[in-house]
Amino acid sequence: MTRLLVADDSETVLLMLQRRLEMEGYDVVTASDGFEALERLREAGAKEPDVILLDAMMPNMSGTEVLERLRESGSKIPVLMISAHLDAQEPDRMRSLGASDCIPKPFEWEELIGKIEELADGKDSGVE
Amino acid sequence: MRVNPSLTARLRIGFGVLFALLLAVSLLGVGRLFQIRVNYEDEITRYFQLELESERLRAAFILEQASARPAIPQQKPSRAELDRAATSFADAVSRARGFAGSDAGVNVRVDQLASAESAWRRSVGEALLRGNLPPPAGERRRTSAVTTAGDALSNSARNGRDAAQDEARDDTRNTTILVAAGLIGGLLAALILFTGLINSMRAPLGRLVEGARRLAGGDLKTRVEVGGPVEIATLGNAFNEMANSLERDARERDRVERMKDDFVLTVSHELRTPVTVVKGFAEMLTEQRKSLNSTQYEAVEVIAESATQLQKMINDLLDLARSDAGKLRIEPEPTSVRSLARRVGRQMRPHFEERDQRFTVSVEKDLPDVEADPDRISQVLANLLMNANKYAPEGSEVRLAATRVREEVEFAVSDEGPGLGEEELEHVFDRFWRAESGETQSVGGTGLGLAIAKSLVELHGGAITANSVPGEGATFRFVLPIAKDGRPRRATRGRTKAGAAG
Repeated sequence: MTRLLVADDSETVLLMLQRRLEMEGYDVVTASDGFEALERLREAGAKEPDVILLDAMMPNMSGTEVLERLRESGSKIPVLMISAHLDAQEPDRMRSLGASDCIPKPFEWEELIGKIEELADGKDSGVE
Repeated sequence: MRVNPSLTARLRIGFGVLFALLLAVSLLGVGRLFQIRVNYEDEITRYFQLELESERLRAAFILEQASARPAIPQQKPSRAELDRAATSFADAVSRARGFAGSDAGVNVRVDQLASAESAWRRSVGEALLRGNLPPPAGERRRTSAVTTAGDALSNSARNGRDAAQDEARDDTRNTTILVAAGLIGGLLAALILFTGLINSMRAPLGRLVEGARRLAGGDLKTRVEVGGPVEIATLGNAFNEMANSLERDARERDRVERMKDDFVLTVSHELRTPVTVVKGFAEMLTEQRKSLNSTQYEAVEVIAESATQLQKMINDLLDLARSDAGKLRIEPEPTSVRSLARRVGRQMRPHFEERDQRFTVSVEKDLPDVEADPDRISQVLANLLMNANKYAPEGSEVRLAATRVREEVEFAVSDEGPGLGEEELEHVFDRFWRAESGETQSVGGTGLGLAIAKSLVELHGGAITANSVPGEGATFRFVLPIAKDGRPRRATRGRTKAGAAG
């Protein structure tokens, strides 16, 4: 079963994502900010998630900061950034920070699932 | 800032001084000329009288000589005649003295003549009356002294007359020169005065004209340097006040505009999260159809549909707010027209199928790539096609055509709907505007699609137009520039997957 770590500062968005992703058959762990996301990663230990979904903008520690720390520590877990910034340069900026992909907020559900599948499959076949 | 005295004051003073100067010069000049003329006539008359008197003196003396020594030998010298002649001589002398006036030379001549005559009468006249013959040498001397003095008087009277004539001529000439100089001086002064006045106005007026042009050109920071005569300085101050007020108004307008943009941006942004959640959960429930009864399922379906519509509206509003705030950005790249058409076709097909409309695409052969942001141009095409889909009747045809027009590619979306009137065409790209002719009133949508399409096309450096024959349909055309390296390219990378909308 594909394991996901989802971080978003909006409680309702987080709950919605968790329920729907669980319905799609994923194993979902949630975090409401960057610190919590790093905490959950530590707790998971060897059972690290297959894909991480990070909201780019969160209080305390933002998704981009979490992404930077992950890449600094050498982690290669695929990260899908969710960004409310619809700037045309945003996807490139996120990729340059080490994100595997980027999805604008709000997103279409099919698109989100498609990207998660792509990243999960890519990890299994060893392609970043 | 240098303010000169007022124009009115300067004109008044200038004209006053000039008028007084010219009047004085004219009056004094004319008066002086008149006086010279009168003096001249007096002098001439005086010297003529003097000459006349000197002739009378000569005649009286001849009479005296004749009385003392008659030319006819039978006649005897007569004392009475001599006395009469002497009296008339003395009268003439006193008249001559009167005419001589203050002319010292003439006075001396008159005195000399008078004393020569009395010397003659004393020594020669008396001797002859007594019957003695005076010594011839003495008589000749005395007589010639009188004649010489008489000639001298005549000469000096004539000389006096000439001198008076010369003096009058010189005076007249000098006075005329003075008057002419005065008039020329006055005119020069006027010239200098008015040139100064004009110059003092020219620079500040020039600045005002330039300032007004700059202000009209939209440079609201324009202020003019205030200066020149009071009236023009006042005009300059009024101009600056006007510019201040215009700038203040413009700044206030900008501030309100920015506030509005920020407000719309913030609101749309804040609305997205709850809408995402509503939509997400509603969609989740629609996927669990089996566990819901039909009423529940219907409700959830409506919620999901409404949330989708709301999300679309928020996205449209956000796009427009970004466009207004200059924050709407595009990422143009060489894009294949065919792949754009394919992508939009895929996305739109379900909508056309739903209304039983035929959708035909014709892309000119060997069309070069366009310089476009594929996501955004797909959005433009989708908006135009969605419009056609909504307004055209069921069973009609909607066409998408792409052709090359010079260095641009023209996209045309046409339908067989009711079309638009002339007045409607003017407003078709306005926000929240919707065609409201009869049967199409029930058409949904945000009313923002065409406004966004216009913004996006213009952001690409293109232009969008609408044409229509009422009753026969409408055609929307827009052009995009051909990509620099117009080579065929790989299919556009879909950043957002098509076909998900609706």
